[in-house]
Amino acid sequence: MDAVTYSIGLAVAVIGLIIGFAAIVREKDDLHRVLLTDLAEVLGLVVIALIATDLAEALILPGLVVGISELMAVSEVYIAKEGLKAPEGPAFRLEVMDSAPGILALILVAYGIVLSGFTGGAVAAVGVVFYFMCRGHAEQFELIETASGYAWAIWIAAFFVFMFLPQYWFFGVMMAGGAILLKVMAKMSLVGTMRRGGPDV
Amino acid sequence: MFNLPNPQIGGPELFVLEFGDIVAYFSPYTTVLFAFALLFTIFVIVSRPERQVDIAFGGDAYYTKEVEPGLLRFQRFMAIACGLATLGAMVTGDVFNFTLFASLVGITNIGIVAAYRNRHVLNAAFQYGIVAMLATIPLFGGAAIVVASTGTLSMWELFTTAVTVPLIAKAFLVLGVMGEGMAPFYIAKAEITRAQGAPFILMVHVSSLLLFLRVMEIVISM
Repeated sequence: MDAVTYSIGLAVAVIGLIIGFAAIVREKDDLHRVLLTDLAEVLGLVVIALIATDLAEALILPGLVVGISELMAVSEVYIAKEGLKAPEGPAFRLEVMDSAPGILALILVAYGIVLSGFTGGAVAAVGVVFYFMCRGHAEQFELIETASGYAWAIWIAAFFVFMFLPQYWFFGVMMAGGAILLKVMAKMSLVGTMRRGGPDV
Repeated sequence: MFNLPNPQIGGPELFVLEFGDIVAYFSPYTTVLFAFALLFTIFVIVSRPERQVDIAFGGDAYYTKEVEPGLLRFQRFMAIACGLATLGAMVTGDVFNFTLFASLVGITNIGIVAAYRNRHVLNAAFQYGIVAMLATIPLFGGAAIVVASTGTLSMWELFTTAVTVPLIAKAFLVLGVMGEGMAPFYIAKAEITRAQGAPFILMVHVSSLLLFLRVMEIVISM
């Protein structure tokens, strides 16, 4: 990548940012303003990514996290302000949501275990999230949390193996890989249980 | 071992706290700000919320408003978190950490303001939230320009005369802090002072004032 490419990208992102800000100024509807604000923020992150190049990640991640948390806070304020309530009515159903989850979740979890580590945890978690979202769940949150806690303890123990018994490094790697797989999967699977029974799932 | 490169603004450093390459410091200036923030955080922890009195005109009747325990607990938590974030922003020696603390102050300020169930206050909180969201762009953008042009975010390097920070980065930093910390000052103040919860609302003002004084010190020193 040469400098010219960065300059062109930067110019495009800045033009998009100006359009976004102009739209926020003109928009009068509150909900649309929240959406446009989020759009402008993502464009701002693009600008930061293009300016700071190799150190960008250090500034993009907090920017993203701060943006999402503020978006959630503002959305909560909007819901309270407008007095919105969850609509009553039958839940959204598709036939594929009854047939697909079992086999898809099985494939994803198996592949995640093969990958292991953080990536494997994420892949397996997608399978579990999909299963919970489609099939529902009998709540056993304590079990999931307990498994997550033990996995975290094993992960820390693996670091102690690295530090004090470096000759057993392979054992440490396997411990850490398996534990982080369990932990990420357990955490993310809670996401799938969030909207069950809500209006849109 | 450490000497503040530019002692004219904040005075010589009194105490240095080293976390790896992130070195927090106390100069007379930041010590005063830190003590002020600490005092108000303690106030928030120990004080009880005020109870407003409504007087019915044309008679002797008056009634006091009750503060629900849930609201009180949430607001107190947010105010204490805001105080801790302000304490961090006062002593940090790293522009990146400063931006993080400033955005934390912004989020907790939204929390303090949004706890009320009053339509006017919620409207003001919503406007403030939008300004705070937009302010993250100049805040992190300013830090990104500082990194891109100087290659470091440590104030110990940036305060030396060898390193020049572009004016646009300084302007962005100030703009971001104004949006994150100062926004309630000019958007929500009039609406919020109608609401109850005196000691916690104070934290919004204290944090915005201290953040602004601190960003001024950083920008002038750079």
